[in-house]
Amino acid sequence: MSTFRRAQSQAHPNKTSTLMLAIIMLLILNVTIQIWLLYNGLNNALDHNPGIAIPAFVGSFFIFLINCGLLYYLPKGRKQ
Amino acid sequence: MNEKIPDWKNDFPISQAETTDVTRRQFAKFLCLVSGGLATGSAFVAAKSALFPEKKVSGSHRVCNKNDVPVGGTRPFVLEGSTTPYILIHLENGEFKAYEQKCTHLSCAVFYKPGTGKLECPCHNGWFDAMTGEVVQGPPPRPLPKLEVEVKGEDIFVTGA
Ligand code: FES
Repeated sequence: MSTFRRAQSQAHPNKTSTLMLAIIMLLILNVTIQIWLLYNGLNNALDHNPGIAIPAFVGSFFIFLINCGLLYYLPKGRKQ
Repeated sequence: MNEKIPDWKNDFPISQAETTDVTRRQFAKFLCLVSGGLATGSAFVAAKSALFPEKKVSGSHRVCNKNDVPVGGTRPFVLEGSTTPYILIHLENGEFKAYEQKCTHLSCAVFYKPGTGKLECPCHNGWFDAMTGEVVQGPPPRPLPKLEVEVKGEDIFVTGA
């Protein structure tokens, strides 16, 4: 059975670079959102405003799952 | 011609393409690790705020005599059973105010600057309004937590706000 992964490794090597860049960009963007969620959850919790912390955690965890899923699409290193 | 493989290639038998690929893969995995760390951090914050909310100051506590603090002067105090430092301020307009003496940025001690009506945090030049505890300028993200002050006769009492 052909999978996305197989097609990906058979494609032109130039594609590897683009994919890598795209995935890393997405990861950086997601991590930035998570930093924002953590910062705001913490500050609101310390400000006796605890309603923010739990949705922030749920969002952050969901983004973590997305990030793990993105790793599946990482191109393999080229074989000699 | 005798083409010899240079010695360094034997010492480091790694092709260039492989090294760059591996590094980016590792970087992506590392970002995923950071992401997991941030999610864990958020989980701690949520658990702490849901399960162990901060106790409010209860009851009223005597701080000192009214005449112990001159106008424009301050007096640090702690409530019994706690280590949180507080500061009592005698403002120039005659009012008394009590705040936690812990900057909301990185917990440095804040000081009243006589004559300005402001509390200063010397660590990163943060300023708070002495009337309300609101942040006037600088990095602190939240106002100073305050206590209600009551003057009963000659004595000054504080209660949780
Ligand atoms: S600790 Fe007060 S401004 Fe940074």
